[in-house]
Amino acid sequence: MPISNPPTNDTRPRIAYLLGDMTGIGPEIVARTLAEGKLAEVARLCVVGDARVLEMGIRDAGVKLAWERVASPAEIDWADFAKRGVVPLIDLANVDPAAIKRGEVSAVSGKLTGESLAAAIELASAGHFDAITFAPLNKQALSKGGWKFPDEHKMFAHLLRHNGYFSEMNVLDGQWMGRVTSHVSLREALDQINPQSIEAAIRLVDTTMKRAGVEKPRIAVAALNPHGGEGGLFGMEEIEMIKPTVDKVAATGIDCSGPYPSDTLYIKAFNGDFDGVVSMYHDQGQIATKLKGFGRGVTVTAGLATVFTTPSHGTAFDIVGKGVATTGALESAVRLAAEIARRRLAERSAAP
Amino acid sequence: MGDPERTEASTVKSDALVTVPVGDDISPEGLVVALSGGEPAGIGPDIALAAWAQRHVRNAPAFGLFADADVIAERRDRLKLDVPLQLVTSVREAGRVFRHSLPIIDVRCAAPVVPGKPDPENGRAVITAIELATKAVAMGDAAALVTNPIAKHVLYDAGFRHPGHTEFLAELAGLYYPGKTYRSVMMLAAEELRVVPLTIHVSLATVPSLITADDIDFTVRIMAEALRRDFGCPAPRIAVSGLNPHAGENGTMGTEDRDVIAPAIERLKAEGFDVRGPLSADTLFHPAARATYDAVLAMYHDQALIPLKTLAFDKGVNITLGLPFVRTSPDHGTAFDIAGTGLASCTSLLAALECARDMAIHRSAAALRS
Repeated sequence: MPISNPPTNDTRPRIAYLLGDMTGIGPEIVARTLAEGKLAEVARLCVVGDARVLEMGIRDAGVKLAWERVASPAEIDWADFAKRGVVPLIDLANVDPAAIKRGEVSAVSGKLTGESLAAAIELASAGHFDAITFAPLNKQALSKGGWKFPDEHKMFAHLLRHNGYFSEMNVLDGQWMGRVTSHVSLREALDQINPQSIEAAIRLVDTTMKRAGVEKPRIAVAALNPHGGEGGLFGMEEIEMIKPTVDKVAATGIDCSGPYPSDTLYIKAFNGDFDGVVSMYHDQGQIATKLKGFGRGVTVTAGLATVFTTPSHGTAFDIVGKGVATTGALESAVRLAAEIARRRLAERSAAP
Repeated sequence: MGDPERTEASTVKSDALVTVPVGDDISPEGLVVALSGGEPAGIGPDIALAAWAQRHVRNAPAFGLFADADVIAERRDRLKLDVPLQLVTSVREAGRVFRHSLPIIDVRCAAPVVPGKPDPENGRAVITAIELATKAVAMGDAAALVTNPIAKHVLYDAGFRHPGHTEFLAELAGLYYPGKTYRSVMMLAAEELRVVPLTIHVSLATVPSLITADDIDFTVRIMAEALRRDFGCPAPRIAVSGLNPHAGENGTMGTEDRDVIAPAIERLKAEGFDVRGPLSADTLFHPAARATYDAVLAMYHDQALIPLKTLAFDKGVNITLGLPFVRTSPDHGTAFDIAGTGLASCTSLLAALECARDMAIHRSAAALRS
């Protein structure tokens, strides 16, 4: 589909801004950030969702926000919208908030949230958006609503017909956490850890961090076994697989090192010894990052054609509709998506 | 980072060693702890000396050190510490001199000790120190046993045939407390968290098949008994972590949580144990979650150690449950690379000494009640 926006020299990336699962705090935090307007410095934001849900978010947040429906992102005159202080909305008209109870898991809402994501992905794939930032989803609701994926990242990959390696990364205060395996059983994770997947994970962390503006990220790779295998006493993976892979990748100019025993690795990273950590399996990385408060951070789906970011926190059912939800992580998510997309665009326009 | 044993002791500036005037309140409980010296070429001597020097700063209990007095004196001089040493013949006597000097029950090494260079010829002395310290506890001279780190590979070269320190102690327990065999359980504890790994020093690949309902059952019972008797928790609450991400999410990410761990927990619950799980390990350790239990049973080493080290870095203590006496040890290795340099921190040893003292007090109070 050709893009026919009025010609502009605006270099801010265009971001599809999604309200998340409407049973949670998503609509109100999206409305609040739009009303505050700070994010306009870094991105052109277009809401993709249902007008009624956006209105609900505006009421919950107790803010004033002018929005206007557009039939297609192609017809948005960004300069004009900005001048009038109006936010464009692609009204999917698919979610009736009056019909869904908030503050609890809803299969209906999960199904519709998935559909909204799919619609946004289609628009991004067609070149209308440079990135997608979405307010919190509810994994359980998505699954109950028929989106049977272990996590939303796998759902995105499916919708984008992506076949190669990709992963989610968590970012907080300049610390980046990636992993070789994710939402699979520990036995499957052990099967999936091999030189190829380790190398892919290290490269993905390196590439993603560079794309986000970290020039030469110092990446630590976690060991798999206790005490890093203790010289082969508790497992040979470190000696036979992880160390040779790390060395091989390091020889190509990536600043990676390891494997490091995982019990003390995260605290070293948090103390500033490294910029990023590649974990081998889900709980290894998640225990430490959740303790550190990565709920305040951002989750990035890295390695796909479209950039996705979202706050790492959840739908916060306990405070829905009270107008007290904080927007820091969501703002960080938009800023990170904008930074990655901006660099990608600059790269593309620099290419011959 | 190479040998993991060399990495775990953190560092402290030696000017942090403060010797304050000695009072009479050093060990108001009258308790004395037996401290086995551990590998002499490691940081054992360093941290024992530093712990004595800081005895007032941290309200540590009195202890008698089972080690080679000449090695301790040499290390003291090397580290330029102002620690008077006193040879004693029993832990009881150690309690009387502890205020003024570091009491040593002399266990001679066969070969010269060079910091950082372990010699298998001294393995016998390392083992003897553990035996004598354990015996002192069994005889009632000492209230608890604290052990400094050993280097297993050095002891293997000296003919040591036990898989580790703890297994050796379980055998000694059978010797000194006859009529029963003892199976130990390792707990790691800090102010922030108590956690027991169900499997310990095994490769992660073997962990899923080592998770059995019987072991969960056995371990939860030992934990509940210890929490009641040694930690002053009259109604112990135990949280059990899952093996798989999100505790398997109803069998969609691994079946062990649903098929092995959950049924074991249900059986314990039916008997009246306050035990919950399997719970997703990644959301089990934040402050609000920690307020809901007294201890966690984790499924493997790093699932227990990542939260402990992240929360309490060098303040963790290693506790052996299931023995007929109280035993703790610092949660680090022999740290050969910093032995004799003054860089070793005695934080974990002090925590181990305090923890042993507190457990011993709880245990004697519990014995009086029953």
